[in-house]
Amino acid sequence: MSDSVAGRTTTEAAEREASGDDGGGGNGISRRAALASTVGLTTATSGCVRQLRSIVNRDDIDPLSLTITTLPADGDRESIRLAREIAAALEAAGIDTSIEMRSNEEFLRSVLINHDYDVYVGQHPGGTDPDFLYEALHSLYADERGWQNPFGFTNLLVDDLLESQRDVDGEQRREAVTSLLEALTVEQPFVPICTPIEHRLVRDDRFDGWDDGHLATRTGYLGLEPQTDGSGEQLRAVHMDARPSQNLNPINAEYRDRGTIADLLYDSLATDVVDIDGAHELEPWLAEDWVWDEGDDEAETEDQSSLTVELRPDCRFHDGEPLTADDVAFTYRFLADTALGGSATPAPAPRYRGQVAAIDDVEATDDRTLEFTVATGEEVAARALTVPILPEHVWTERAAAASVPGYRVAQGTTDAVVTDNVPPIGSGPFQFGDRTEREHVTLERFEDHFTSRDDVDLPEATVEELRVQIDPRSTSAIQLIEDDSADLTSSTLENYVIADIEETEDVRLLESPSWTFYHLGFNARKAPFGNPRFRQCVAQLIDKSWVVDEVFHGHADPIATPVAGEWVPEELAWDGADPELPFLGSDGDVDVDAARTAFEAAGFRYDGDGNLRVRH
Amino acid sequence: MLVRVLLQLTVVVTLMILISTALFVGRYRLRDTRVEWRSRIRAAAPITIALAVVLLFNSVARQIVPDLSWMIDWNFTEPIYDIEGEFILWLQSQATPAVTAYFSFIYIYGYVFLLIFPVVAYFALSNTRPLRELLTAYTLNYALGLLLYTFVIAYGPRNMMPDLVEALLYDTYPQYQHLTRQVNRNTNVFPSLHTSLAATVSFLAYRTREIYPTWNLLAAGLGVSVAISTMYLGIHWVIDVLAGIVLAYISVELAGVLVGRWSLSEWLDGHVPSLGAFRDSNE
Repeated sequence: MSDSVAGRTTTEAAEREASGDDGGGGNGISRRAALASTVGLTTATSGCVRQLRSIVNRDDIDPLSLTITTLPADGDRESIRLAREIAAALEAAGIDTSIEMRSNEEFLRSVLINHDYDVYVGQHPGGTDPDFLYEALHSLYADERGWQNPFGFTNLLVDDLLESQRDVDGEQRREAVTSLLEALTVEQPFVPICTPIEHRLVRDDRFDGWDDGHLATRTGYLGLEPQTDGSGEQLRAVHMDARPSQNLNPINAEYRDRGTIADLLYDSLATDVVDIDGAHELEPWLAEDWVWDEGDDEAETEDQSSLTVELRPDCRFHDGEPLTADDVAFTYRFLADTALGGSATPAPAPRYRGQVAAIDDVEATDDRTLEFTVATGEEVAARALTVPILPEHVWTERAAAASVPGYRVAQGTTDAVVTDNVPPIGSGPFQFGDRTEREHVTLERFEDHFTSRDDVDLPEATVEELRVQIDPRSTSAIQLIEDDSADLTSSTLENYVIADIEETEDVRLLESPSWTFYHLGFNARKAPFGNPRFRQCVAQLIDKSWVVDEVFHGHADPIATPVAGEWVPEELAWDGADPELPFLGSDGDVDVDAARTAFEAAGFRYDGDGNLRVRH
Repeated sequence: MLVRVLLQLTVVVTLMILISTALFVGRYRLRDTRVEWRSRIRAAAPITIALAVVLLFNSVARQIVPDLSWMIDWNFTEPIYDIEGEFILWLQSQATPAVTAYFSFIYIYGYVFLLIFPVVAYFALSNTRPLRELLTAYTLNYALGLLLYTFVIAYGPRNMMPDLVEALLYDTYPQYQHLTRQVNRNTNVFPSLHTSLAATVSFLAYRTREIYPTWNLLAAGLGVSVAISTMYLGIHWVIDVLAGIVLAYISVELAGVLVGRWSLSEWLDGHVPSLGAFRDSNE
């Protein structure tokens, strides 16, 4: 009698515990509860029940299934192809994989703004300088929205390395960057796959000067020499991405890739002049000059130095308002907090985060002079001068929180980061003319721009109008060039059409290096992608040489590290295979046994059906 | 570019319609039409206006539908691919240049002809019911199609497997891209509106097979060709095409129920006697 009462009590306790300790696994609880109640009632001794409890209260590890977020072929043909190849490799390694395609802006919104993804495949805008890695990977940015740490990657040692390469210059910096890249090769916060080679088609009969500036940068569109009487009236570009016709906000992350068109509308203090071969140098632009004062100012600590910037005289915005040092100081304050202090927490812009973070303080000392207090070495601080200068009178009111009646908008969403910004008011060499969504955006020469002054020796806008026509496919873009309906393709051509292009006397294929790269990004906020061993194993499932041949038709370079060529340390240079994490297999085919061994050596387990089981 | 493609389309389709009218409609029906066209237009006017309104709304809504769809965010591409696998690949493996040319022609010219010619053919009949059913079915296709497009995001095979599924139309004839992107968005593939409208015509042609027996055969052939062309060219999945046929069936059945249920002219006669009297005196 007493036995059965005790048995029932224990059963009830077991049920309570079973339902209380785990809110997640639905069928686990019911199975356990059922077992406990039926078996428990008939079990005589409490010791037996305890053992039973020890057995049934252990959760099983589920097979891993993940989703690769990427772009459809209309958005980026190479990305979806890479995603499919990677999905096949993951499937071979026993990971259930599906692919989700999202349009350009929705893809970036998922990855950069909402961090709502497992892994993604896409193109990173990269940078001519390796300092872009600071904003891409510093753990302080893991919860911010934008290009700053979309991976949620957090590693204190890497943070240190990211910071130390910022503090020094010259040879010391090169060494610091090398240490950083070595650490990243081990950590694999994302898997760098390859750097594309950029191809564009241009017509030589109407303009000359295509070989001077890289066409992904503003100077590529300036200084072109019209070859016929009529050609100075209009430069006709074909763009394969409709987003510039929909949104011209220079600080929006979802609608910008490298922001080339926005750079024609907005000036920056300095500009990275990149030539067609990729050689680049930072040169004064809106700033006439800048001078470094070594840290003898008493207000500065020993880590800080200051930079005095002198603006060119009499610059104006497209609406006629003068551009003063106050606008510049405003821009840096605004990019650091687009709410201008009006929000509970700062709302930094989703672009230029790393550049702005290099500036501790900025002060306009008169109409044309600014005093920057910088927290980094000179090389990195000078790059902070490349952000677009915004007119204070237009953007101040955009510090307000965006609102939709009846809807709770995400914290830190200011009007500034979501506005379409049409018409854009900048101070750049071109001003906004007209647009039709998904058809064209037309810019007009800004006559008052400083580049058109006689005493300024910089390339200027040489055409009355720049019409950027939207045409979503390479094949029809090529036809427009061949029919003399366009002068250049401002986007890069898709690789599969390049072999078929027939160059003529007037039509020429331009080849230029890129500082962007294709990569597989992990969302380290989710298990098991936060585990560097897991990431290393996945990196070894990608045959980078093979995908370059297969997906890119050879028009790309496989990479082991994500920086521009000149910064790649010798030990991380591509030597026919990945120097650190070589592919487990050959010719694109994963060696299933080797992959399995690698995952097992990394502490993961397989079930009898060959599925990778991972706690997630 | 767009103007040139449009002009070419207009000329070719007009020629096809003229020839078909001569072949299928015949002299006698045209003679009657010359006498009766006023009353026929009056009978078909309400539904024609409804169709025009839906088309107009459609062209405006197309600008905002993708925004709404991404807010709802129901992405169907992966489930569709999971279910049907790689049928499209098999279909494309049958490709030859001649077949590609045929289906490209069907997708653009055959389709437009298939949609316009029955309007002419049914207008030439004294009984306006087929014409009204046709226009009602078109209206329903567009209205229901737009609703589905709003809720479902799905990319076609060419977007998912660009290496395996060649975008035959756009790579072989890039100029058509300019035409189709005026009408289609790449996330709107479920259902195939090409298939549903073509199937609608085929279904109605079957209903009027006693009047136009040869047209029934031609419409069936063209309808099947259009459905296959959408898959062959890598634009639609099989599931989109099947959904298109279901949509066509629903639209035709609904049109059968709806047409003749309400009469605008009777309503006018009852409510606006002066107008009715005016019209009678006019006849």
